[in-house]
Amino acid sequence: MLVFAISDKGGTGRSVTGSNIVYRRALQGSDVCYLDFDFGSPTAGAIFSVSSAARGTAQGGMHRYLEGRLADPHRIDIWSESDREGLRTKPPGAGQMVLFPGDEGGGEFSTVSEEMLQRCVRLFARLEEEFDLCLVDLSAGRSFAAQMALAATARLPGVPFRWLVFHRWTRQHIIAADGLVRGQQGLLAVGVQHGHDEEALADHIRFVRTAVLEPDAAELEGLRETQKAWLNECDRELRELAGRHRVGRTSMLGKIPLDPVLQWREQLISDEDVLSSQIANAETVAAFDDLAKKIVDDSAWEAL
Amino acid sequence: MLVMGEVRTGLLQNSGEIPESLCQSVLGLLSGERVRVSRRPIVYAVSPDQLTGVDCRLASASRARVRGVGTVLSRASVTGGRLLQGSSHIRVVRSESDHRLSWSHYLARAGVVEVFGKVRVPDLAEGFAENGARDDCLDLGSVSERFMDAVQASPFLDRKAPFRSARTRLRWVAECGGPGSTGTGNTSAGTGAGAASGSAASGGAEIPGTGVLSPEGPAIRFTLGRDQVRTLRLVLPGGFTPGVVDFCEDLALHDWLLTTLLVIVERARVGTATRGEVTAKLAPAVDHLLHLWMPAARLDEGFAPFWETLERRPGFSRQWQSLVERVRDQIAINTLALLREAGGW
Amino acid sequence: MTPAYATFGEVAAERRIASAPLSHVSIELGHLYMEDFQAGPERLREQFRQVAPWAETMRRSWQSRVPGGRARVSTCFLIDDYFSRFSTPAELVPMVLEAAAECDLTIDYLARESACAEADGVKLARLVEDRLVTDPPADTNGARPPVTETGWLCNGARSPHGGAVQAMGSARGWEPPAQNAKRRHSIFVDVELWDTDSRGRTWSCPFLAAVWQLLRLGLIRNEGELPVRPRPRGPSFPSDWDELPAIVQLNPAAAPFSAYSTLSVLSSRFLPVELAVRTILSQVFVDAEVLGQVAARSAGEGIPLRDELVDRISYVFLGV
Repeated sequence: MLVFAISDKGGTGRSVTGSNIVYRRALQGSDVCYLDFDFGSPTAGAIFSVSSAARGTAQGGMHRYLEGRLADPHRIDIWSESDREGLRTKPPGAGQMVLFPGDEGGGEFSTVSEEMLQRCVRLFARLEEEFDLCLVDLSAGRSFAAQMALAATARLPGVPFRWLVFHRWTRQHIIAADGLVRGQQGLLAVGVQHGHDEEALADHIRFVRTAVLEPDAAELEGLRETQKAWLNECDRELRELAGRHRVGRTSMLGKIPLDPVLQWREQLISDEDVLSSQIANAETVAAFDDLAKKIVDDSAWEAL
Repeated sequence: MLVMGEVRTGLLQNSGEIPESLCQSVLGLLSGERVRVSRRPIVYAVSPDQLTGVDCRLASASRARVRGVGTVLSRASVTGGRLLQGSSHIRVVRSESDHRLSWSHYLARAGVVEVFGKVRVPDLAEGFAENGARDDCLDLGSVSERFMDAVQASPFLDRKAPFRSARTRLRWVAECGGPGSTGTGNTSAGTGAGAASGSAASGGAEIPGTGVLSPEGPAIRFTLGRDQVRTLRLVLPGGFTPGVVDFCEDLALHDWLLTTLLVIVERARVGTATRGEVTAKLAPAVDHLLHLWMPAARLDEGFAPFWETLERRPGFSRQWQSLVERVRDQIAINTLALLREAGGW
Repeated sequence: MTPAYATFGEVAAERRIASAPLSHVSIELGHLYMEDFQAGPERLREQFRQVAPWAETMRRSWQSRVPGGRARVSTCFLIDDYFSRFSTPAELVPMVLEAAAECDLTIDYLARESACAEADGVKLARLVEDRLVTDPPADTNGARPPVTETGWLCNGARSPHGGAVQAMGSARGWEPPAQNAKRRHSIFVDVELWDTDSRGRTWSCPFLAAVWQLLRLGLIRNEGELPVRPRPRGPSFPSDWDELPAIVQLNPAAAPFSAYSTLSVLSSRFLPVELAVRTILSQVFVDAEVLGQVAARSAGEGIPLRDELVDRISYVFLGV
């Protein structure tokens, strides 16, 4: 299955959440891979703690593959090549976890040519043979990468795909996320141009809220009553806004709580980070785990 | 003469095995040409031969710049309606010209790549086996993969494969004696330091008594490399026959079966996971793989000794049998446990 | 006990390739387009008058090569019914035959151009298109699919054009195209094979002419069978082109239609077309077994054949 991670605005934690979903899925026993399609800023290597690819790979990654200058894009086996010791032993029963980084110095493309699209289709088809889940991290906003993803999936009718639209729990983000999906030249409109059925495509899109601060969270214990009331009011307004913009509860696949580890250092959160060093919150890992399961759980994707 | 090729092997992307009748549609990559099918002892269907033009460097161990022009001969095949292979090879000969000729010259010599200048067979053989397509050198694997992709994209396949698996890559080089061997000058087989490298990864196999590839008698060396790459070196004093390609494909097929079954068994976490989970993980192997093991089924008699050698070391069938027994035992035990729970005995 | 030798064969696993009856040379006496027809019978007679001595020269040359002078020479004539339909076979064919007879020429076989696209339910043009193996520019190592511009075929590397460029990357300036087998300077040829419109695909004239040459060389097979066999003429010619067989045998005593070699005598206005034909033919892969059959037959007669198809084709280009 192909999963496309996209957000309208930057700074939603799309990449770090996507990486953690991939990691959780691997721990759950699936063969997974992560494709860095954030062409303008190919830094996925950093999240997986692969320093040799922290700013993209020098050995020929996604850019050179899509340009046709390379037959096989560089693949990095996280279980053996990550700098983090905790990641370097594959737990028994865990699946493959492979990163396909972008090129060092690679930039956003200026157009999607037919040849590029064909290469993309071939890549998706091949990876689908080998991996249970291929997470494709697209850049923020409308991009050629997103257009290519829509066009490629339209040509691969037998390959299941899903879209995750990441947004923060703010007014601006809620409106932007809706616009990215349903607005002018949004995912649905462009998808239809490339041969997708609008309704079917809409059924394959879900939203993920990130950096969510629940009004009843433990962190907010010390607040004054007036502050709490104000926060509750804000949250109610946002929920109403989200409902109006069809970004509400029913179209939401999951939410990731605000976690300092994710804010300050974008990385995979291991169980050890929660249990031994206790730098990350258990709720965060639970949210990733939940999302990783829901992504492949058909009941969470029934038509709205 | 030097012959080299690359076979890529993978699972046909379909929920079940495809019937013989569908092979024609799936492998019919060339209009007006029938897919050939043989039914005994296992259904095997092969596409018409396809050609791809190349003009590029050939890998050489000494990093010499060797340019070759010609055509790559490829085919795709489906075995047991379940396993897909893409296979490409070339015969390397020395060009009689010092510059590139008109394309019709090369097209009249299907599957031949002509190299310019003086080349040493061991240097090319070593370079191809060890480095493959590095530095924009000839990439036979990619050619093979494209024909596989074309088959996998067939609208007749439902793309719902029962399990995920990686494609394996078998690169092979055969140094053939007999007629035609004068074309590339030095024909003595590579016995230099390079020939022994790579054996650290395990799985080397030789004709007993030679130790290294010997130029006198037939010889074989199979090496299991990293990342699904395997290399096979052959010495065939009797000269080239198309049976070499069949042999390499057959070996690649069985190596894939073994590789894939090993992964399935490892992932089943026998002893750790619940009996139900173990059975669920092993079931696809029983449904789709176990009956496909049939080494040397369609080969020329002449290649039987090579298989026999490989059966002694590393012992393909021995490992396969032990895995198959393990799978069957696990499923039997789990069935018994389920019966006990259900029936209370 | 001595070991028993068992042989096992499976019909579906074997290839059977029909062999074509072959002349020594197939001479194309002309190729009729609508404009020639509209110019009237005098134009046709003029053409045949010019062709006759060349055909005779070729015939004599083969007679001197073959023991006993028993050269098998067949002649053919191609009428365009693909790009434009004009007149009817009933009206046109007798006129052509009459004009030829006046110049002491015998037309053995008459073919319709549309037969090169599709004949007797076999899509010949598609068959040939599938057998194109593109002439690779330098540094083609097999890693990428062959560079093709859909519907075009060239003899080298095209000028690079603006494809996808990365942001903040550098765009390339103009570069010349290059012929692959150039001798210092290039003669770059890029041939349009077909185009499409609302009615579907229309094959180009050079592409159909390439199919025509392959048919005359007896090198096309469909599932191992000969795709088109000449049919004897009936008592009269039909009034609809579609009812005329793809290739009609007009002369019952004619040597076989296909031949080891071909000669086309053409107006020099066809020179660019034939350059395109040769560009196409030098990239067509003919089944090795078919080539082998033809080579064995000719060797048996003591007539060595060139390995390369384009070397089996000769032309005479006539000035006006």
